[in-house]
Amino acid sequence: MIHWKKGALSAGIVLILVLIPLFVQRSDIITYLFLTLLYIILAQSWNILGGFTGQQNLGHAAFFGVGALTARYIWLHYGFPLPLAILGGGLATAAFALIIGFPAFRLRGVYFIIGTLVMAEILRMVFDNVFPRADVMPMKLLATYNLAPRYYVGLLFAVLSVVAVYWVNRSRIGLGMMSIREDEDAAEATGVNTLKYKLLAFAISTFMAGLAGGVFAYYTAATKVGDLFAPVWTFDAVIIVFVGGVGTIVGPIVGAVFFVLLKQLLSLYLPGGMHVLVFGVLFIVVVLYLPGGLIGLMAKLRKKPA
Amino acid sequence: MARGQDASGWRFWMLEVNKIDVFHGGLQALWEVSLNVDEGEIVSLIGANGAGKSTIVETIASLLAPTSGDIRFEGVRLDREPAHKVVTLGVCLIPEERGLFPGMSVLENLELGAFTPASRKVREISFKLVYELFPVLEARKNQISGTLSGGEQQMVAIARALMSKPKLLMCDEPSQGLAPIIVKNIFEVIKRINESGVGILLVEQNVRAALGLAKRAYVIENGRVTAQGESKRLLADERVREAYLGTG
Amino acid sequence: MYELYAQTFVNGINVGALYGLAAVGLSLTFGVMKILNIAHGEFLMVGGFFAYWLFTLLGLDPFLSLPLIALALFLLGAIFYKLVFASVARFHEEVKVKNSLLVGFGLFLVFPQIARGLWTADERAITPAYSGTSFPIFGVRVAYVPLAGLIVTVVVILALHFFLTRTYFGKSVRGTSENWKAAKLMGINVDRTYMITFGLGTALAGLAGVLVALAQSVTPDVGMEWTIKALIVVVLAGIGSIGGAFFAGLILGIVEAVGAIFMGPYSVALGLVIFLLILMFRPQGLFGKG
Repeated sequence: MIHWKKGALSAGIVLILVLIPLFVQRSDIITYLFLTLLYIILAQSWNILGGFTGQQNLGHAAFFGVGALTARYIWLHYGFPLPLAILGGGLATAAFALIIGFPAFRLRGVYFIIGTLVMAEILRMVFDNVFPRADVMPMKLLATYNLAPRYYVGLLFAVLSVVAVYWVNRSRIGLGMMSIREDEDAAEATGVNTLKYKLLAFAISTFMAGLAGGVFAYYTAATKVGDLFAPVWTFDAVIIVFVGGVGTIVGPIVGAVFFVLLKQLLSLYLPGGMHVLVFGVLFIVVVLYLPGGLIGLMAKLRKKPA
Repeated sequence: MARGQDASGWRFWMLEVNKIDVFHGGLQALWEVSLNVDEGEIVSLIGANGAGKSTIVETIASLLAPTSGDIRFEGVRLDREPAHKVVTLGVCLIPEERGLFPGMSVLENLELGAFTPASRKVREISFKLVYELFPVLEARKNQISGTLSGGEQQMVAIARALMSKPKLLMCDEPSQGLAPIIVKNIFEVIKRINESGVGILLVEQNVRAALGLAKRAYVIENGRVTAQGESKRLLADERVREAYLGTG
Repeated sequence: MYELYAQTFVNGINVGALYGLAAVGLSLTFGVMKILNIAHGEFLMVGGFFAYWLFTLLGLDPFLSLPLIALALFLLGAIFYKLVFASVARFHEEVKVKNSLLVGFGLFLVFPQIARGLWTADERAITPAYSGTSFPIFGVRVAYVPLAGLIVTVVVILALHFFLTRTYFGKSVRGTSENWKAAKLMGINVDRTYMITFGLGTALAGLAGVLVALAQSVTPDVGMEWTIKALIVVVLAGIGSIGGAFFAGLILGIVEAVGAIFMGPYSVALGLVIFLLILMFRPQGLFGKG
């Protein structure tokens, strides 16, 4: 019964999201919605590894960047059709992740975290040097630039990513991943092939991050390549996941909506960039005092009156 | 039980643990545990592995906090003091597995034993005292403590505790992992320390040795005190003999 | 050719000393508290800007401002320990270090914004009259400022070493790092020790910041770059190795400088390669005990 209700609710939300561009013409609203969808993909991708598997990746931007760069190049410069280009970006990212995954997962716990952090930062520096100039869409494309198709691509991949996480979460893979989060040594001792599950989680997570990158590559008119690797992509994903509720499926969605809304709200009252300060403080508060995020808070509030 | 009765009557014990409940990692580990130690007394806590003996001494040392009940030392509420203050009041715990600073020299370990201001003032005298008790430590004072043998490490642990000038010394499993001959030495030393006027609360799994050394003992089972009294009486008790001495 | 290499070597040492000093504080807090403060570079940035302020507003020479900056950053660190890191220190080992990373990550978002508000996003450098002057020796030009920076670094690290091995309080810091429970049982106030250690770590970051502002420059966003350099050095040296951090810093500085001759801008990737290789094949670091 509950299951059926949830399914109907989800379908209803998706249907509304599909219909919105037909009724809403304001480009700023569509842009916010698009960004929310983009953040949902990115946050879900981080959550697979960081939330469900317990391997916090502070270099997520690197994978977003690789996906965006690959998709953009094979789409704009080699003429791949767009869906293939985005998919190609995801695959290239996962392949890259698996190459570095073998050495990276020799590092455990804190060393994995700082390893990913350092890797992303170095990649950013290198790409800043290789591609010092902004990459702008060709005039022909810019002249016909339209938000609606970007929005639908974002919606498609956002829905796919939520479905994928839902499926992973309910499968054996999800069980294996969560056993690593709870106690890696114990999981290993009971016969879980921890390296396999970590690599699998890493591959799924980075594949989705690559897709998010591809969606962004399709959306943005002009970007510096180094910016695709900027740490801000990691931060946004991590903040959204933690504020929403780490290790849950709904958390990243709630977090993304909250993030985009609050960011717009803050930009009305605060000078540019100051929203980052607010989010930084909010993030620290969540980590220290509200480990369940908004989802956990809601659950607590609902329980109390009963 | 003569002593117990007059305790509730007209005089205080040096250490009074009064009906403490303690939780450890979300689970209740102790249920209404009460025990007393008098000045210059040797009291032993015996019981099986995991019965809660270590939890008791760690709670007295304020590493853990009781959820109810209280602990008094010379009338002062220990359960309201942080662990580092308990030492200054004269209660020192030698933790399980000795708790040395393994990367530091023997000398540095002993110096940190006399960290509290009062004990630091008299540390030269204390050094003399512990070197007299353990001459081998003076010879090894510059050696890194983690590289010593198990018996020597236990000596460092005891010596370090003595440097804090305790009135009550709590030893958690001092015999653990040591050869019988060394255990005998350690117990010998504990006896000598006691003879100098220091009260001892001894946690031991080696029940025969513990009861041989202590005048009184408490039997701890599943987080509760299930028997107490004079060691001689406990040694004669059928139930204790069966459970802990393997002779029914 | 000789001159190029020799000059590069000297430049590498100059930069490497900064890396070493930046890393020592991080190594200290990580070693003692098992807290990895990735906002370490942010405190370095703040130290640099403070010194810039003292120099431009009051005309105070940066080398004279060093003790003031150390004191200010010590207090700032102690405050931040009490505000956020003290509640992290309560957690168990694994959770503690992960949460400290996340909290540091949050601070890393907060600090640059505040710095932008206080000092704008512009690049700032401290330029006293003597900056840029140098003297020749063996065909190499040695600049006064980095040389003085190197001396400051050596003095600071020796002082720290002396503090940790010769003073009672320093020994209690080491004892706490080896076994905090036993430290408590010896009457050491572990929470206070943590606060002071954290403050020392940020004070060291602040000192490094002054030298960075003097030898190079600071911007509000410079923090992460320095955190990463410091992380590489800490891993290279082995966690908690104070003297090792200094030498590892020199090694990284020299490798990057010499690497730049062959690899140009890609030499920054050398740090990553060293970092990952060390983590995989010698996790205790070059100077750590195996």
